[in-house]
Amino acid sequence: MTYQVASFDELERIPVMHGLEWRPVRRRFGIGAFGVNAYTAEKPGDWIVEEHTEERLGHEELYAVVRGRARFTLDGEEIDAPAGTLVFVSDPGVKRVAVAEEEGTTVLAVGGKPGEAFTASPWEWYFQAYEQPVEDGIETMQRGIEELGERGSLYYHLACLEARAGRLDDARAHLAHAIELDPFLREIAVKDDDLEEVR
Amino acid sequence: MSRYTVKHIGDIERRDSWIPIREDLDIGAFGVNAYRTEEAGAQVISNHTELMAKHEELYVVLEGHASFTVDGEEVDAPAGTLVFVGDPESHRGATAHEPGTTVFAVGAQPGAAYEVSPWEESWRESGEAMKLYREQRYAEAAAILRDAIERYPNSAGLYYNLACFESMAGEDAATVVGHLAQAIELYPSFRDYARQDSDFDPVTDDPAFKALIEEAA
Repeated sequence: MTYQVASFDELERIPVMHGLEWRPVRRRFGIGAFGVNAYTAEKPGDWIVEEHTEERLGHEELYAVVRGRARFTLDGEEIDAPAGTLVFVSDPGVKRVAVAEEEGTTVLAVGGKPGEAFTASPWEWYFQAYEQPVEDGIETMQRGIEELGERGSLYYHLACLEARAGRLDDARAHLAHAIELDPFLREIAVKDDDLEEVR
Repeated sequence: MSRYTVKHIGDIERRDSWIPIREDLDIGAFGVNAYRTEEAGAQVISNHTELMAKHEELYVVLEGHASFTVDGEEVDAPAGTLVFVGDPESHRGATAHEPGTTVFAVGAQPGAAYEVSPWEESWRESGEAMKLYREQRYAEAAAILRDAIERYPNSAGLYYNLACFESMAGEDAATVVGHLAQAIELYPSFRDYARQDSDFDPVTDDPAFKALIEEAA
């Protein structure tokens, strides 16, 4: 098969937070050259882009409102974004969030870091893992490590899930490895309820 | 430099059917454009391969209704359809079934930092030159491309078209063959194109031309 086809409605629907539904595109097609995903919201008023910056990944992001209407907030500035609106956030430091204003609103997000070859982002694994039964989530994180290699955030979320499953020794070892790979994770770990028993 | 830009797709200045999103928003990490036609039955994505750029391409039908053809297979694509073509060798194109059909296209090469495609950088010069070519003003068309090559020296397509225009303008065969050889060096598939391209009829008997297009790829 030299090509693949899907409609937005056929994409898997993975609930994330505040009504946000991640509709994986990159993973569905096995795209290796850029990050691309669609998002929908459970109902108007829910998140359609989760509040975040791109400081960790350094990505430029282009959001295209494909259907419906969204309201973006970029560093505090509100932007009305009916279907056909393109929101390009070049600065990874901009805090961005969007809510759906209408039923069926769909946003397509494309991302990548200028000057670097694209690699898939760890969040694609942990967003899914937290929505699964805990043992399946652990397997998802292990697959993420196999595919992406040594990434602090992958070991961190593996440790969180292992702690939830009561596998405290595994959780301690993986948390230590996560912090070794990415010392910034220590600050997050001290406030994370999942890790209460392993700190 | 602004930290973000917001624009409606309809407010981006079009170049015929091409809506140059990447250039307009100054995106550096991936290629992204849209194409729109107001005419049912018209081509909305031109027939092409990605052999030159080696891009994976994702097409998203934003409005209307398109019909893609990928390697001879037809794919019905109403608004909301995503078509991913991973193999750069695949021949792909799309026709609009409805006026206003709009297709969004994202592309980049896996494992490599994104670079703006030469065709995108030299679109203005290429467009002007093609217009003159269609008016059979071959020498003027060639002059535009000679200038463009100074600025975009790695564009195989510019060299190829320059060789075509020079051939039609009656330039000496050595000049034509020299530029065609540079096109083939940058993009070997141009050897096959040249074998079937009637623009080279004026130099077809030239021994150097024959040797160049008959060389094993």
